[in-house]
Amino acid sequence: MKTKAKSQPKFKQITVMFLMTLFQMLSASCVIFREKEISLNLIYIFLGYIAVEWVYMTIGTTVTGSDYFELEAIAFFLSGIGLTVCASFSESYAIKQLAAIGIGLVIYLIMLALLENYNIACALRYPAAICSLGVLALNLVLAKAVNGTFNWIDLGFFSIQPSELVKIAFILVGSVSLEKLISSVSLTKYIVFSMACVGFLFLIKDFGTALIFFFTFVLIAFMRSGDIRTIIIICAAALMGAVLIIYFKPYVANRFAAYRHVWDFMDTTGYQQTRVLIYSACGGFFGLGIGEGFLRNVYAASTDLVFGLICEEWGLIIGIAVLLSFAGIAFFAIRAARASGSTFYMIAAVAAAGMLLFQLSLNVFGITDLLPLTGVTLPFVSRGGSSMLCSWGLLAYIRAAGAHFTPPPAVDPKSIKVGKSKKNTAAPKKRGGAA
Amino acid sequence: MKITAKRAAVIYAIIGAFLAGVIIFVVQLAMHGSVWASNKANRHIYSNGTVINTGAIYNRNGETLAESVDNERVFSKSASVRKAVLHIVGDTSGYISTGTHYLYRDVLSGYNFVNGIYKLKSSGTGTDITLNIDSEANRIAYEALGDFNGAVEVYNYKTGELLCSVSKPAYDVDNVPKDLLTNPEFEGVFLDKVVSGIYTPGSIMKIVTAACAIENIPDIDSRTFECTGEHKFKDGSVICNGEHGKITFLEAMNESCNSVFAEIAVELGPEKLLATAESLGFNKQLAAKEIRLGKSRFDPPETSASELGWAGIGQSTTYVNPTHFLMIAGAIANGGNGYAPDRIRSAGVISSVVGRPPETVIKMNPATAQKLNDMLRSNIRDCYGDYRFPDLEMCGKTGTAQQDNAASHSWFVGYSQRSDLPLAVVCIAENAGSGMRTAVTVSNKVMQYFLNNL
Repeated sequence: MKTKAKSQPKFKQITVMFLMTLFQMLSASCVIFREKEISLNLIYIFLGYIAVEWVYMTIGTTVTGSDYFELEAIAFFLSGIGLTVCASFSESYAIKQLAAIGIGLVIYLIMLALLENYNIACALRYPAAICSLGVLALNLVLAKAVNGTFNWIDLGFFSIQPSELVKIAFILVGSVSLEKLISSVSLTKYIVFSMACVGFLFLIKDFGTALIFFFTFVLIAFMRSGDIRTIIIICAAALMGAVLIIYFKPYVANRFAAYRHVWDFMDTTGYQQTRVLIYSACGGFFGLGIGEGFLRNVYAASTDLVFGLICEEWGLIIGIAVLLSFAGIAFFAIRAARASGSTFYMIAAVAAAGMLLFQLSLNVFGITDLLPLTGVTLPFVSRGGSSMLCSWGLLAYIRAAGAHFTPPPAVDPKSIKVGKSKKNTAAPKKRGGAA
Repeated sequence: MKITAKRAAVIYAIIGAFLAGVIIFVVQLAMHGSVWASNKANRHIYSNGTVINTGAIYNRNGETLAESVDNERVFSKSASVRKAVLHIVGDTSGYISTGTHYLYRDVLSGYNFVNGIYKLKSSGTGTDITLNIDSEANRIAYEALGDFNGAVEVYNYKTGELLCSVSKPAYDVDNVPKDLLTNPEFEGVFLDKVVSGIYTPGSIMKIVTAACAIENIPDIDSRTFECTGEHKFKDGSVICNGEHGKITFLEAMNESCNSVFAEIAVELGPEKLLATAESLGFNKQLAAKEIRLGKSRFDPPETSASELGWAGIGQSTTYVNPTHFLMIAGAIANGGNGYAPDRIRSAGVISSVVGRPPETVIKMNPATAQKLNDMLRSNIRDCYGDYRFPDLEMCGKTGTAQQDNAASHSWFVGYSQRSDLPLAVVCIAENAGSGMRTAVTVSNKVMQYFLNNL
């Protein structure tokens, strides 16, 4: 095992950081030099972002003595692309996005600190559950109609999408409850909580997020029970529910009428999807250049459709790189989960990674008509504060599983076989997580 | 706990499903990208549904028929050329769906999977297309049609190059008539009659009946027939254009004798006629390279002898497409291989280097082709008169397709035997009367131009 660990190529974090900074400076200069008058504000924004990255990495390395920050590097890479896309729209978008990334990072750090101690995490589950349901209920009452779905609360200076924040709580509640699951009472409580969340989301017609919650619920249930039959029963029940809903509320199905027929609805419900396909194709591998696209004029180009915009302006290669980054996060989550010392961290990491991947799939495949369009965001990249906070918050679960690694289990050959992770089981001191 | 760790592998399944989705997206992009990118909603290429930026279209001499300059589509300077090449070049809104602008929009956009439309975006122009069309010949043909609507098409039967293709009515794209959509004069103006039109063929259909007779009646050449100006069947009669008396098969072709051909058609019977017609492309969806043609229809009646007689001389429910018939003429001229007329000389790097190989659409027995060739040559030499086609060594057949309550359509289909002029021509002038008059004159004018300018 030790030889294997040694044979692994070891990329120094500093190399990754330099390459990423170079990439970000290049893309930023594309935005900055597009305008006739160079905007100093934009330069400050980009420099500020790059500084945040370096400070975070430097402090992180110093404090932990670890040199492994892939997870953060991926998140910074994605957030940086999102920030640049925002900057290519307007300065105000960029400032708000930078602020969102900053707040996201703070939430990430706070969550890491809280999750460090399992007892705190455990104690937080009731407040989290109650707050979640409260916020969703409040949302239902207060919400204004925005884009056909009621999922925004406008605080005047700032509008938030409560369902995004509830995602973080949902995983906490699920992981803690089921960690404690011995009694069927805690399971029942969790099922009721999940049903309530999905139900509220349905009532506010945010079907995409409802689906994400449901998927995560199934994932957590599987992680705990491992029983495929149970999962099949849950899914079958959900399917029947869906059929009933479509039967009694046909307008739900109408919303997805364009699915797989977007070209027949080019100027109505298939408008966004067809534009994404048209302009993604235009970009080719290398893109038409930042700011040179036409998809940016389509509604929600910087939020839901941002993948299409990246394909058009940045090119398919970077578009695919964005997608593969999430696969990277998921791989990291598997290793972290297997290296972690407790079921709670394991379930939380897997659930968070599954949630991120599922949301990403709903987004990317929704706008390209491989799945029905549900209007969810692309984590880390889409413009928007709530989405950014949620993305970083979910990331904390994955990182916590990798970081939280005490006490080391007695080295058991079986666990090595099961865990496949090459060195974490043998080298528990590396708090940086699975390399 | 260890078991739970094992279950983390479920993420592998999710990653797998996700990556499969990514692969499907990329494959679809590779397969359909050119169609997606050339959609009318693409504002890199279109503005309000009209083409602004895309590749240039040149004629065979390299003269510009359409190009993009400063986000605007600019056409040939000559108004008469613009009209004469309208249907080949197409309009900027894609109403003329067989025009090069619309049909080859994916090529013109310069799209490719690797670069997308970057070239178009950076230079304002995509991939240029050079046509085989001689726009001057188009102009001559257009003007030769005079007041009549119709179609004229000339192609090289040895290479498939389409040299001239005109459809009337047409309009000037730079000066679109305000009443284009309302004035009955412009009815069907977006239809390229050369490729999409179907017409009653009249006597040019006798070529198909003759082909069937040659293949099915061994002594057809040695027989004589009697024409009394009318051929009576049990259930009606077929009227002839004259009283030809005792004549041979060849003379019947020369004189375009309805009586004899109706008699032969009935003798052959509907099955054999249908078999020959279908072997020559009737009742099939044909295509000339990338262009789908109007479908020629032949449906010989099985019960009525007189109706079968009419069908055998190209009346009744028979309809033909001009390009289809041009390919039949091409097959006769080219020893049995009727090539597809190809308007494109080069489109992009590959075709400009390797060229576009000819494609056989109509296949005819070479012996039959040879016999028909002799008959069609005899038509002009012994009957119509070579003076109608000076120096051309023409072969061909006229047609006068009777219309209900209107003047007949005037048809000519033929080709030159000169080795330096391997061209076939088809002309249909709507409601222009006898084939000998308008269609022959128009065909000769265009062919004379090529005699001096090929």
